[in-house]
Amino acid sequence: MTDFLSILPTLILASLVSIGRVWITILFSIVSGWFLAWASIKSKVFENTYISLSEVFESVPVFSFLPIVFIFFVYDIGGSLGIELSVLFLVFTATVWNIWMGIYQAFKTIPHDLVEVTENYKLGFWGKMLKLYIPYSVPRIASELMSSFSDGLFYITVSEVFSVGTRNFEVFGIGSVIANLTQEGNYLGALEGVVVIGIFVAVITYLLREFAKYSVSKYGLDTEMIIRKKGRLNIRSSLRVTNSLPTFTKIARVFPTLDKLRRSSTEDYYEEPRKREKLWKIVGGTIGVVLLVLIIYGAVGIIISVPFTEWAQLISSIPTDLVAIGVDYLRVGIIAGVSFLLAVFLGYYLSTHERVEKVVIPVIQSFAALPAPAYIPLVYLVTLPLVHEVFGPFTNEFYVLFIGFISTFYYLFYSFWLGVKNMPTQYWEIMKNYQLGFFEKMKSIILPSTLPYIVTGLSSTINSAWGGLAIAEYWPNIINGHNLYVRTGMMRDIVYYTNVGDIADAVWLSFLFGIIVVLYSILFTRKLMDLSRQKYVAEEGIYLV
Amino acid sequence: MIRHVNMEMHDNELVAIIGPSGIGKSTLLRILGGFVQPKEGEVRLLGKRVLQPSPKIALIHQSIATFPWMTALDNVRLGLKYRKLSKEEEIRIAKKMLELVGLSGFENFYPKQMSGGMRQRIAIARALAAEPLVLLMDEPFSHLDELTAEGLRQEVYQMLFSEESPLKTVVLVSHNLFEVVELADRVYVLNGIPATVVGDIKINLPRPRDQHDPELQEYVDTLYKLLSPSLKKKLTDGKGETI
Repeated sequence: MTDFLSILPTLILASLVSIGRVWITILFSIVSGWFLAWASIKSKVFENTYISLSEVFESVPVFSFLPIVFIFFVYDIGGSLGIELSVLFLVFTATVWNIWMGIYQAFKTIPHDLVEVTENYKLGFWGKMLKLYIPYSVPRIASELMSSFSDGLFYITVSEVFSVGTRNFEVFGIGSVIANLTQEGNYLGALEGVVVIGIFVAVITYLLREFAKYSVSKYGLDTEMIIRKKGRLNIRSSLRVTNSLPTFTKIARVFPTLDKLRRSSTEDYYEEPRKREKLWKIVGGTIGVVLLVLIIYGAVGIIISVPFTEWAQLISSIPTDLVAIGVDYLRVGIIAGVSFLLAVFLGYYLSTHERVEKVVIPVIQSFAALPAPAYIPLVYLVTLPLVHEVFGPFTNEFYVLFIGFISTFYYLFYSFWLGVKNMPTQYWEIMKNYQLGFFEKMKSIILPSTLPYIVTGLSSTINSAWGGLAIAEYWPNIINGHNLYVRTGMMRDIVYYTNVGDIADAVWLSFLFGIIVVLYSILFTRKLMDLSRQKYVAEEGIYLV
Repeated sequence: MIRHVNMEMHDNELVAIIGPSGIGKSTLLRILGGFVQPKEGEVRLLGKRVLQPSPKIALIHQSIATFPWMTALDNVRLGLKYRKLSKEEEIRIAKKMLELVGLSGFENFYPKQMSGGMRQRIAIARALAAEPLVLLMDEPFSHLDELTAEGLRQEVYQMLFSEESPLKTVVLVSHNLFEVVELADRVYVLNGIPATVVGDIKINLPRPRDQHDPELQEYVDTLYKLLSPSLKKKLTDGKGETI
């Protein structure tokens, strides 16, 4: 009891510090997002650069940034400031994309009439921002906060303790405190830490839900969106629910694709005095060009600075690297498959059982936001004997897949659930009317109706699975002297190379992986997304004049 | 809220339910179909209680509902799934129903390639394919332009009560008085808070009906008076009898 009380203040403080870091990055993402989105709607050059880069970086998993973060912040800046900044930057890369894209889409979809009102009354930059653009983006930001907070917390707990070569780096926070307690063998203390952060997470998740509802009731437009709720229409309440949910689902349903947004020029929306318009174009264009030049300069600098022999060695490792990437894709495929099955069955069950849904959805949300790296060692310790008995030589493989699954199933599950909730009421009535069986319903109506949601959810799940694999594939001394390793895996290699200080190999592998992710995104995800948007939009099946 | 409503629908009868907006016409229709359970009272079809939706009572929606990823033929086949027929049989019946609603040749078109009127025909064909005894139509023409709506109105009665259709009764909800007088054999008028039946009017006009017919106009006036509280009062006071 004394122990329990003695470490409680430390655990509370550490939780607050970690959560504080996440919120610093989120706030920075929001404020920078407003200015970047403004620049985007004012300058085509900037918009094209900004959106293209964001799309690429968004699809590259956060852990690929790890080596770059270490090189720059830890070695170039150094000291405790460098470590702190590297942690913040890593979390920033996890939280920023959703928010930036959400704000950009909000700015691009502001109703023409409202923009005309601000023009009519000659509002300046700050006037427009404060009276229209920022308030209009609030519901979108609110809908992003849940997933950004969850992602941020996941990565903050991982990155508070890390090592490069022989050097260990650590910053104070709940991740490092729990890791230290675990290493010391104080498992009850570690569990207490998990409970403390769990309470914070539950409270914050609740507050975020409430904020999302509030933001829509205050800032949302009263657009009619007919969705199913309690078997009848409840437009306003449903709209609030919809708006309080993560972005990717909304993007699939309501918002045009980034391409479409980009293609529509600012002139389509409104006209401004030409002088100021021109100034913004020049400023935005210049920033866009400078960004591009900096990236090219950095890339060329790296290429030149690496000796030829090093290049030869890196290129010769491509076949091995591709095998490692292939094995990891297989793991991600299994994780995505299991997530999909869970999403379909549990998501459907919950959306058709309202009482259970009311309890289970907040629980799943809180659980998803609870950072897996904090509690996994304890789960590992408790379950190892049983899992070893069942899976034998595949025990580590099981844990890797399990960690990947729990850190990522949420996106697909939530996306599918939301898709089912947003199916038109008429479809539910038709399914009841013609007494369709479960599989007939799934095949003919529910899966096609929710396809845009499934594709976006699947895409997020796949992107996030890499984070889970990164911690699970190479986790020395996870607890009590046990090591969690896999023999083959790209994330294992990246983390391993980083840990032993072989930054060149780590960066090279990240680079190869980045190329594959971008190709995969262009050739597969986007195509599937386009198909689902063209053909599988349930709302288009409802004909309203 | 609807209270003390007692309605009967008979063979080969198209019964319309009218009432002011928001009075609960659509809810009443869903109660008749078993989609919503009433707090009091019951619905019976051929003497048996209706406790849940069934293909024997098919619903046509106000907002025309088709599935954009299915062709017209597949949309209609959906109404046949509960009968567990062979694929060939499903296709044969679906084609026949599309022909019945005037969409022969459009089997492989997707709803998006069709007009609102054609889409509503698909929904009607889907409902008829299920071999319903009762068809519930919730303002089926309200989302169509006037010309399309009028064209479909003129055809729909023949479609529904053709020899190939198993239908016994059609219940139509609408707030368009000309439409109900043109189509219905009998009209229930709902009004008041809570809503009750304030009129049960039999339309004794030969078919096909013309909206410019003075007799049809008289029926429309009667219905209008029943729907308008102030006029209703005058009518009641003037004649000294309760409608």
